[in-house]
Amino acid sequence: MKGWLKFPISFLLLAHGSVAQLRLVALPGKSPLVTFRIVLTSGSEVDPPDKAGLAYLTAMLLANGGTREMTYQQLTAAMFPMAASVSAQVDQEMCTFAGATHVDNLREYYKLLRAMLLDPGWREDDFKRVKDDAINNLKVGLRGNNDEELAKEVLYQNIFQGTPYGHYPGGSVSSLEKIALDDVKQFYRLQYSQSNVILGIAGGYPETFPESLKRDFRKLPEGAGFRPRPKPASLIEATRVVIVDKDTRSVAYSMGFPIGVTRRHPDYPALLLAASYLGQHRMGGVLYDEMREKRGLNYGDYAYIEYFPQGMFLMEPSPNLARRYQIFQLWIRPVEPPTAKFALRLALYELDKLIKGGIPEEVFARTRDFLMKYVNVLTRTKRAELGYAIDSVYYTMPNYNEYLKTALAKLTRDEVNRAIQRHLRTGRVVIVAVSKNGEELKRLLAGDEPSPMIYNSPKPAAIVEEDQIAGKWPLHLRPDDIQVVPARDVFQ
Amino acid sequence: MRPHVLLLGFLAAAAFAAPGPQKIFPYAYSQEDLPNGLRLVTVPTDYPNIVAAYIVVQTGSRNEVEPGHTGFAHLFEHLMFKGTEKFPAAKYDETIRRIGAASNAFTTDDYTCFYTTFSKEDLGTVLIMEADRFQNLHYSEPEFKTETLAVLGEYNKNSSSPFQKLQEALFDTAFDASTYKHTTMGFLKDIQDMPNQYPYSLKFFERYYRPEYTTILVVGDVKSRPTRELVEKYWGPWKRGGYKPDIPAEPPQKGPRAGHVDWPVPTLPIVTIAFKAPAYDDATRESAALDALADLAFSANSDLYQKLVVEEQKADLLYGGLADHVDPALFQITARVRKQDDLDYARDRILDTIRGFQDQPVDAARLDTVRKQLRYSMAMRMDSSDAIAGILASYVALRRTPETLNRQFEQYARLTPEDVQKVAAKYLVEAGRTIVTLTGVTLTALHPATGPAGGSGGAR
Repeated sequence: MKGWLKFPISFLLLAHGSVAQLRLVALPGKSPLVTFRIVLTSGSEVDPPDKAGLAYLTAMLLANGGTREMTYQQLTAAMFPMAASVSAQVDQEMCTFAGATHVDNLREYYKLLRAMLLDPGWREDDFKRVKDDAINNLKVGLRGNNDEELAKEVLYQNIFQGTPYGHYPGGSVSSLEKIALDDVKQFYRLQYSQSNVILGIAGGYPETFPESLKRDFRKLPEGAGFRPRPKPASLIEATRVVIVDKDTRSVAYSMGFPIGVTRRHPDYPALLLAASYLGQHRMGGVLYDEMREKRGLNYGDYAYIEYFPQGMFLMEPSPNLARRYQIFQLWIRPVEPPTAKFALRLALYELDKLIKGGIPEEVFARTRDFLMKYVNVLTRTKRAELGYAIDSVYYTMPNYNEYLKTALAKLTRDEVNRAIQRHLRTGRVVIVAVSKNGEELKRLLAGDEPSPMIYNSPKPAAIVEEDQIAGKWPLHLRPDDIQVVPARDVFQ
Repeated sequence: MRPHVLLLGFLAAAAFAAPGPQKIFPYAYSQEDLPNGLRLVTVPTDYPNIVAAYIVVQTGSRNEVEPGHTGFAHLFEHLMFKGTEKFPAAKYDETIRRIGAASNAFTTDDYTCFYTTFSKEDLGTVLIMEADRFQNLHYSEPEFKTETLAVLGEYNKNSSSPFQKLQEALFDTAFDASTYKHTTMGFLKDIQDMPNQYPYSLKFFERYYRPEYTTILVVGDVKSRPTRELVEKYWGPWKRGGYKPDIPAEPPQKGPRAGHVDWPVPTLPIVTIAFKAPAYDDATRESAALDALADLAFSANSDLYQKLVVEEQKADLLYGGLADHVDPALFQITARVRKQDDLDYARDRILDTIRGFQDQPVDAARLDTVRKQLRYSMAMRMDSSDAIAGILASYVALRRTPETLNRQFEQYARLTPEDVQKVAAKYLVEAGRTIVTLTGVTLTALHPATGPAGGSGGAR
């Protein structure tokens, strides 16, 4: 674990030892709002193999069900005048319960939040509603209504198959159908323990509030909780493609491969910079310039080194999606079917250029300066500041904002280029496409024919020349490397 | 050049001391007009270091009056990132990245908003670059043609959501003359024809990207005076235009309408019931009463929601309301049901609920709860300078002043149960009603897609 050597000894000890104490992050401020983030440091990676989605259902029932004393209806009525709610986010290693209240209503709101998390009602009718919603979330939300998210989640599932991350946090239709209320109650008893909880509060709360928060959550059993053995994704031996076949207008891509870099790895800042250069989420970058701006292939193209769900709705990533294993991911937004193969080739060609040529000096400096300031934008709300602070506790690393600025200030172009060499590649990639006529796309991708481009306006010679090269970029795909799956079968 | 300055200082302390309810917008701000018609609103907030500059152009899909040119306001949101001679697109992007800013734009039915969030020391850089692109935008025909493809790409990425298609069908069915007949994205055939419309695009810029259509909101760790000086210097030379669009009025609807969308893949069935409703108005209590009605009848705390979603579990989604618009728009109620057999049931319960609100006034205590909810909801949304700027942008788009927000909440405070009953009886009537349903295919009966569409979520 070379990556940990740069951290002070105390962090190392914390990371390896069990943390028996309830952890608390409190960020006082002047705002009249009080923000809560209660994070369970356990998630869908601990779902039993035949009960994928159990962590998700448990969290959703807590956030969308009644308490022992109040029905969900009464709870909703009590929250309504405060314009307050509790939301849940579930990932492989974390379940986050978030909410905010005006300080006027702090006591009343907290009483409800506390009862929801510590004294749940476990009613069958709440469970039935939440379970139906979870199943529809897969059948309708993911398969039916959002091709881009579908491609991304199929990618993660494919890369991590056979590991504790090998299923979508929201589970699968057949496994959700099998889960009973007793399973959920048991999951809660086993996992919702003091050692698995990080309490987060920020804003204009009274000084004594955090202590009472801690006191209340000591009601949870101390328990260590179960943690599966860390297991990286298996080696990808050759590039493979999954085509999710459904009736849709265009072709949505997500592609990637595992990287051994998380937020606390020494190469994190360098790789973050490389990803920002290649495609800074919803802002720009090489892929965006080459694919959208110069060629009009689609609406945008971006690169990631951390899991970023819901990217089509969010300008910035949500915190509290910490993971021990990440992938390098390219997001190619829907392209018109006739340009589907060219777009894929161009994306890999651009990645290859970065790996072979490195990042240009001048752009390196600009990207570094961007990230050093952009981190302030990322953490500008108390909500985000609190979320990042909790992630730092989980990763046992310093304050994200300070850490990143310090690390970036020292970073050199050579270090970035070496990190690119170490971690990025264009071979052994998993590619997921959501498309209609899947078999036709399969035939197209498996062939060696060039992908000529025809534009609606004249292009500069440099683009035409580059298209000649990119249009012949070897994908090295045989029919056996390409699997066509009907949309109705994914997450089934 | 000294502009004519109208300075309105609203001190939060003064608001607390005033009789009646406290103003909902707690910040002192200044509002000033330049001689060319440009308006500047500066709002210093308590949030340190960060500044949000939101530039609101009162031009949206509502302004697309000529047939064949729907979607142009949104296309222009994209074109504004094409650069100028001084700041070509690449240099603009480089500068934005160097200063670590977050920058994007969005278009609605009524306005286009360009926004940048950045560190306070970069205010000058941002205002200079923004002034330049608003006055000197320059793009070639090939660049234009390529950008129209990115817009088509945006249409494509939206098209996997049935809600987008449902809205498209609803607007087209409900409206005859109003430009709200098309969504902000525009009709697909117009988007596909955009590459051929370069000369029209130049005309569009000439017409609408003018100071009299534009309000600059600067919110955050700023001071009014230096901000005003920067704006005077860089935005002062911008020439006023003279174009006023002739936006057709929607004739009164004379009877109920209906539509249906077949969705090519499996999905849960959806029903939307819409009624012709008035344009935003804070001189009367009508808009406020319709907002309260939406909360009372269709929010998660409503009897109908509790019945359909929580108790009977026939629907998994229910919501309703009227988004504030410059022109008369639609009060919409949408339910998504778990089983196709329950689609008519959900529709009938929504119609029963409306009749209930028409027949008798709502309980005064429940109305008070809604008022409280609206105030806390707004107070809690103001949790960063860019959130505040975003809220103000929507109000500035209606009446060109942040005071609109205060006026709306003053009307909420004055509402009576009779007001709510009156608007239910006046607007939620059969003659102005349009019902559109959407159902997906079963797994054994897949057939080709029709062209779905939707709104604009950003230039990138």
